[in-house]
Amino acid sequence: MTYHTLLFILVAVTAVAAVMARNLLMSALMLALVSVGTSLLLFDFQAPWAAVFELSVCAGLITVLFVSAVSLIRHEESKAAENRARFYAMPLVMGIVAIAAWFYAVPYFESLENWARLGGRPVPLGAVIWDIRRFDLVGQISILAAGVFVVNSIFPRRKTHK
Amino acid sequence: MINSFSMDWYFITLIFFAGLYCMLVSRNLLRQFIGLEIMSKSCLLGIISVGAKTGSLALAQALIITMIVIEVVVVAAGLSLLVKNYRITNSTDVWSLDNLRG
Repeated sequence: MTYHTLLFILVAVTAVAAVMARNLLMSALMLALVSVGTSLLLFDFQAPWAAVFELSVCAGLITVLFVSAVSLIRHEESKAAENRARFYAMPLVMGIVAIAAWFYAVPYFESLENWARLGGRPVPLGAVIWDIRRFDLVGQISILAAGVFVVNSIFPRRKTHK
Repeated sequence: MINSFSMDWYFITLIFFAGLYCMLVSRNLLRQFIGLEIMSKSCLLGIISVGAKTGSLALAQALIITMIVIEVVVVAAGLSLLVKNYRITNSTDVWSLDNLRG
């Protein structure tokens, strides 16, 4: 049992805990733990830039967004209780899927591995972002602008009547 | 003992299923967003696993950075729609989104 596998187990367990948590706030915090585990895994994969992005943006910013959304809709929880039976059934379903995946999916992934070919010569991350996938940056900037536009149009500034 | 790549993808399958189950079962929109996040985390791990396998980690990292940016925008826009919907219908149930029902 290596550190790598332990991290994967941590991410899987926190993901199940995030789904099963009764409290929405606890669910959001478990999601932050999933992000932290993912970030540690990315560090373990020798991908520090992606890990830093994941840790700062997903574990930080998205958690803040979720927690503020939970605080804005807080009264909902006690009023309309969901049917919890399906959530309590989740460990059973996950166990069935885990056993089935162990027997059916793992041989498939092992056969997939034979198709893996090494990529071209390794290039630094900066060259990939700024040269090879420069067009992605246009998409990212336009998506960011679209997000700002959406939030701005959903919550318009109230005009005060004097 | 099975090798590392298959083991990684075994856990990625489980994490993806956890998110999918959350989205299928829950009627609360916020919980569905959490399921979406978990699914996107598993996709991210899949990308980096394949990148490490094929020796093109830089390309995988560039894709992941793009993915994280898009994820943030999707979550911000979705949560703001959710809060606005809560102020109008006073509910976060997906079945309350039936204003356009004929």
